[in-house]
Amino acid sequence: MSKRSESYGYMGVILRINLSSGAITREPLDMTLAEKVIGGRGLASYLLCHEIDPAIEPLSPDNPLIFATGPLTGSGAPATSRYVVVCKAPLTGTIACSNSGGFFGPELKFAGYDVLIIEGESPDPVYIWIDDDKVEIRPAGSLWGQFPVATEVEIKQATHPSAKVASIGPGGEKLSLLAGIVNDNYRLAARSGVGALMGKKKLKAIAVHGSESVTLHDPEQFWKATMDMHKKITNDPISFGSFRAYGTASLVNLINEMGAFPTRNFQSDTFEGAADTSGEALIQSVLKRNRACFACPISCTRVSEVTAGPFKGRGEGPEYESVWALGALCGVSDLAAVTKANFLCSEYGIDTISTGATIACAMELFESGVLSEQEIGFPLKFGDAAAMVRAVIMTGDREGFGDILADGSYRLAQRYGHPECFMGSKRLEMSAYSPRVFQGMALQYATSNRGACHVRGNTVAAELYGIPRYMPPEVMEQKEEMVRRPFQNSTAFVDSTGICLFTKFAITHREICALLAPATGIDFSFDRSIEQGDRIWNIERMFNLKAGFTRADDILPERVCEPSPDGPRAGSRALLQKNLDTYYQLRGWDEMGRPTAIKLKELGLEDWWGVCGS
Amino acid sequence: MVHITVKLNVSLRKYRSSLKINEEMPILIPSDTTLAELLEHILQIPAEEVAIHMVNGIKSDMDRILVEGDKVAFWPPVAGG
Repeated sequence: MSKRSESYGYMGVILRINLSSGAITREPLDMTLAEKVIGGRGLASYLLCHEIDPAIEPLSPDNPLIFATGPLTGSGAPATSRYVVVCKAPLTGTIACSNSGGFFGPELKFAGYDVLIIEGESPDPVYIWIDDDKVEIRPAGSLWGQFPVATEVEIKQATHPSAKVASIGPGGEKLSLLAGIVNDNYRLAARSGVGALMGKKKLKAIAVHGSESVTLHDPEQFWKATMDMHKKITNDPISFGSFRAYGTASLVNLINEMGAFPTRNFQSDTFEGAADTSGEALIQSVLKRNRACFACPISCTRVSEVTAGPFKGRGEGPEYESVWALGALCGVSDLAAVTKANFLCSEYGIDTISTGATIACAMELFESGVLSEQEIGFPLKFGDAAAMVRAVIMTGDREGFGDILADGSYRLAQRYGHPECFMGSKRLEMSAYSPRVFQGMALQYATSNRGACHVRGNTVAAELYGIPRYMPPEVMEQKEEMVRRPFQNSTAFVDSTGICLFTKFAITHREICALLAPATGIDFSFDRSIEQGDRIWNIERMFNLKAGFTRADDILPERVCEPSPDGPRAGSRALLQKNLDTYYQLRGWDEMGRPTAIKLKELGLEDWWGVCGS
Repeated sequence: MVHITVKLNVSLRKYRSSLKINEEMPILIPSDTTLAELLEHILQIPAEEVAIHMVNGIKSDMDRILVEGDKVAFWPPVAGG
């Protein structure tokens, strides 16, 4: 088939590769879907619901791995690097949508594809080589067991020096439920265990090289909107100033000052070692320089190195969430150790948040006497930097007790009879903002479609920075609408376009719509963008309902619903239940959290109960 | 006079370059001093460089009057993900 149909912004083609049969097929992208669910997260979630019965086992060959770009990915507008990986999540059983930047997503479009669907599983390790029209499944025996950096070097030698590579590390190969997919050496589509599914398919890597560009509907108007956006971003004190100069870890001292920095597996909300692991300390000790993703003026990536000592190493990061999970959450204040653990997570291809949180859970079980030194192999105490780093290596290798850690903290806590030590929702570990303090985050963690995650609706923007308007963190009133519309629905829209969420401090939906319309020729108005975000959120919700999740899963750990023990906000606690009923009503869901027939009709999803395999 | 402590974070430390990261600086200020007066008159830091200000871990109005023992902290625009 012709590579490009009448599509602007989009390449117009879905590439489907079946690793069981070896079949490689190309399908036209249904452009009516573009108007309905945009691309990226929305499009891939829609496709997944039509591909599988959500009740299947996540590591079944029937679970496809869907890589999807948005209409802005690779367009050349600022920060348009993003692609998503969607499947049924091995870690959680919910819908997964993991998101990454770098250069892999744009290259997939330059090769002529909006979406890559990988089905089935190979009996032996393979990698996929996509060079424009030429698509091959190649043996990857010599790559199996290698870290992503080495994998990328070898694949580039075998294919094209400018190829862009997404691969799994040993974590994914060994089906760690913490495994993500690594692109451009260090960037991870990290959460939900998507790398385990790639490992189960025996797919070591995907290499792409493309020679096309994204065709725009109205190039003149598009570049005008691009220049406007570029100006707004480069004049913004957060997007361009803070992210670029200080990195996300500059939040460490701030969130800790608020008493909202979860510490020692959420047993406290203040960490005495915050300053030692702060963004400022990172700049003074390990930061070498910044690096940018495709077409990004922000350049927030931290290229870093620990030059001496037991934690010597080099790589990228750590970012705020990683500093927190491998630091405060484990009681560790040694920045070199945290940085090393972050490098190791990239090498093994495992998620820093869930890995740190799982080790923190194990530390609590050890200190309370549930886990013995004999079982673990060494004392695993809060604050022991060397033990934390050792546990990361064991987790990546599935060696010894690491075999249990590699399946995440939900299963660890269940296995040892202490489910109350799991600090997450829907089997996904929470992030670095205490829900005892940020009531918006409490509701977000509980209702997030991929489990307790901050980037599905980071209400801290409103509850701390005042974007779009300030709502004090402890206030309950109107948080339901804030979580639903300007955060969850808005993020679903942004994630579907291919632009990076970090631009959102400088620009609004209106500016993104001002790019989408001339890029695609489709009427992407502000009102429609809100409707599209709402539709995408409901599609994900319907998948989860079909997978067996209910209102009973929209919960938080008991620990964070009890008063915070210390810090400036001692006594504060998550008051989720007060918000949940109102949130459901605003969403147009019944009291059990199911979209009503009226709501589905409003979203054009009235036939949806008949989709999703029922 | 009342005793308070001040933390200057991230880029604001340039105004007291001897301060360590997250170090509390003890200051004696006149009674009835507001947060705004502390920032601009006593510390002599331009208000436009400050995005977040907290007293005892709580985001506070700039017209708040500081009292004995208050812990004040200032930040430039920062954010994370």
